[in-house]
Amino acid sequence: MSFLGFVSPEKLREAGVLSMNRRNYEVIARHNRRRLYPLVDDKVKTKQLANDIGLTTPHLIASVSAQYEVKNFLNLVKNYKSFVIKPAHGSGGKGVLVIQSYTQNHFRLPSGRVLRYREVYQHISNILSGLYSLGGRYDTALFEEMVHFSDVFKNYSYQGIPDVRLIIYEGYPVLAMMRLATKESAGRANLHQGAVGVGIDIKTGRAISAVQHNKPVRFHPDTKADLMQLSVPFWKEHLLIAAQGYEMTGLGYLGADIVLDKNKGPMVLELNARPGLAIQIANQCGLRSVLKRVEKDFPRGLSFKERVEYVLSTY
Amino acid sequence: MKRRFLSVRFFLSLGLLFSVLFSAWSIYYKTQDWGFNLRPNQKIPVWTIESHLTFQPTGKPVEVSFARPDGTGNYKILDETVIAKGYEIKKEKNKFVIKGKDKKKQQNIYYRILVYDTMKSKGKTKAVNKPEKPALPSFSDDDVILAKEVLLKAKEEKGDIVQNLIRLLNDSEPNEAVLAFSPERKSTLETAQIIVDLLALEGIPARLIRGIVLAEGKKTSKTDVLLEAYQAESKRWLTYHVRTGEYGIPESFIVLRRGDDSLVDVVGGVDSQTKYSVLKSLNSSFGMAKYRAQSAEQKQLFAYSIYSLPIAEQNALKWLMIFPLAILIVVLLRNVVGLKTMGTFTPMLISMALIETGFWPGLTAFVIVTGIGLIIRAVLSRLNLLLVPRISAVVIFVIFIIQMCTIIGYRFDFKVASAVLFFPIIILAWIIERASIIWEEEGLKSALNEVFSSVLVAVITYFVIVNPTVQHIMFAFNELNLVILFIVMLLGTYTGYRLTELKRFAPLVRHKDKK
Repeated sequence: MSFLGFVSPEKLREAGVLSMNRRNYEVIARHNRRRLYPLVDDKVKTKQLANDIGLTTPHLIASVSAQYEVKNFLNLVKNYKSFVIKPAHGSGGKGVLVIQSYTQNHFRLPSGRVLRYREVYQHISNILSGLYSLGGRYDTALFEEMVHFSDVFKNYSYQGIPDVRLIIYEGYPVLAMMRLATKESAGRANLHQGAVGVGIDIKTGRAISAVQHNKPVRFHPDTKADLMQLSVPFWKEHLLIAAQGYEMTGLGYLGADIVLDKNKGPMVLELNARPGLAIQIANQCGLRSVLKRVEKDFPRGLSFKERVEYVLSTY
Repeated sequence: MKRRFLSVRFFLSLGLLFSVLFSAWSIYYKTQDWGFNLRPNQKIPVWTIESHLTFQPTGKPVEVSFARPDGTGNYKILDETVIAKGYEIKKEKNKFVIKGKDKKKQQNIYYRILVYDTMKSKGKTKAVNKPEKPALPSFSDDDVILAKEVLLKAKEEKGDIVQNLIRLLNDSEPNEAVLAFSPERKSTLETAQIIVDLLALEGIPARLIRGIVLAEGKKTSKTDVLLEAYQAESKRWLTYHVRTGEYGIPESFIVLRRGDDSLVDVVGGVDSQTKYSVLKSLNSSFGMAKYRAQSAEQKQLFAYSIYSLPIAEQNALKWLMIFPLAILIVVLLRNVVGLKTMGTFTPMLISMALIETGFWPGLTAFVIVTGIGLIIRAVLSRLNLLLVPRISAVVIFVIFIIQMCTIIGYRFDFKVASAVLFFPIIILAWIIERASIIWEEEGLKSALNEVFSSVLVAVITYFVIVNPTVQHIMFAFNELNLVILFIVMLLGTYTGYRLTELKRFAPLVRHKDKK
């Protein structure tokens, strides 16, 4: 059956699992044109595109792209009690610093850790010099308003902001998962660092399965909340936002990260032209069979509303 | 859409097929004509045959001629030289003619032939012209009767008459007819001569082959002899060993002359004596390739190959020729096995460095330098430097560490320490920088994991390319790199699961099973 935890390739093929090589060669290379990448790789551009079609995104307080501006950063955020610093070209949550509250010299993170002014200054410098950017190019540091995530998720995440990751294929939202930070993942939403991945039913927004470290779990390891009770409110709005990502970017294979703000509703956090494959594990469902179905059966040329309706009615 | 991708694969497969065929052909001619070997450090024996002629001049003008090997033999000639002081030397098609004015003292003339690639040959030589019927030997009437007796005996037995004669004459208990004809045991030359005479009685043309049997350090004044008899049906000369009757020219036998012509002629001298000596030396197969290509009439082909370059360039290229294989291994480990490494080709460069340093010294040095580097990097990170100056500082620190290790290594004769000298400094600095970032971002475990898998890939690569046979083959048969190119490109279309994915996605299968 399986040897040392390995299974045969046949079994994976039967389960419709999409491999990394096939994702790169057949899915991304065929559906995502290279020149479209900057639209999603640059968070400022993504934000503009989203705002242009009326989608909400976390409010951009300011951006800093030159080293001499860094010393001025406290001035930029002075009207905000909390804020988030992130690289414009970052990926996978790298280089994101959430400041929950601060004084002149002390910056409090959600984990309770307190950074000094020079440490934050250093972090911004690092962003500018390209430490977190794709390909190490010079980057811009963004200062965003903090998302006040919905109380619905309060029990489901250890620090960090729970977000919904959706895979959109040819404009159809096909798979969804929620990433919940744990103590082990240090408040981050990276599955390989020990965050919990919850597969979300694409039609209802309810949890269908959950994994941590590739193993099924029922309860959140830190908050002990029953993960199967998780249900995402405003689910249809989530789907509509995700589906519009296709029109926004023209990318056939797209990942959309959506957060639920308790005042502003669902908003686009970022889009990704190379969404990872861990979502298959969280959903206990292979992506390849799903993509094949979309290619074969789903109609073309529909508007985003029609596509979401199609998914909700037939999927 | 699908068809386009299929056709990419199709063309690449076609390319692979052609590159394999081309390599097979190329390897074939390199082994056959250039003498390349699949095993490394193959030495090819080169034999020096020296004929040393001494004679006493009579006072008249001297003319000496040495018979040259005709070049159709079972060996190739590397070089020929005649050393004759104060003589005029002329090279003709089948001999060297050496002319000189009147001399007084004893003269020494040397003729040296360097031969290589000696091999056993079937010893069937096509006769250019049908040989004339041999003249009857100068036997007395009694001898003719006895000889006919022997011939009768030889013809009675089955098989080749020449072989039968050889056997009869070499028998340790000779039969009566033979004993009567030639009562005492004869030398090889004499035996051969008797057989030629006997065959002449039968009307079969036969002749002697004179040459030298190669043996290290041999010194002799006699040439060695084989026998050749004409076979009328096939119009060929067949060669026989005079003692065993075996067909063919033995590998160690260098044919100098066929027939009765003498090997050395001296006019204007008396008491001439020729001594032969044989010397063996070993040359590398690459060194000999030039001469072989020349004799195989592939001079142009060879002139544009890497083996015609000066040794320094060859050594540099030798190094480069192993790269594609290392790249292939990295591609396999990343895209088929699924190991993650820091930087695409960093492991390859580490493995190259390990070859220079030796495995354990290199690995230890690597761990020491990255370890010290990480500590220094942790201190640097407190200084809040910008990225480029910071990585530059790490580079300079790495240089300091290497310098220190080398000095300590030299002082205490500690090989491990001086091994660091061979690691690419920039690579080390980037490994340190990336590891320390991962350490800060994702914890020590992730950082060590990534360093470990990079080193693992480096070690695997190292063990493949450190093999001298592999290195030799990739250099001697560098067309294999074309095959590697197509394999790498084909791997670029590999869409199957990576080995690590078989484990990573295993929960999906188990889940299905439960259902």
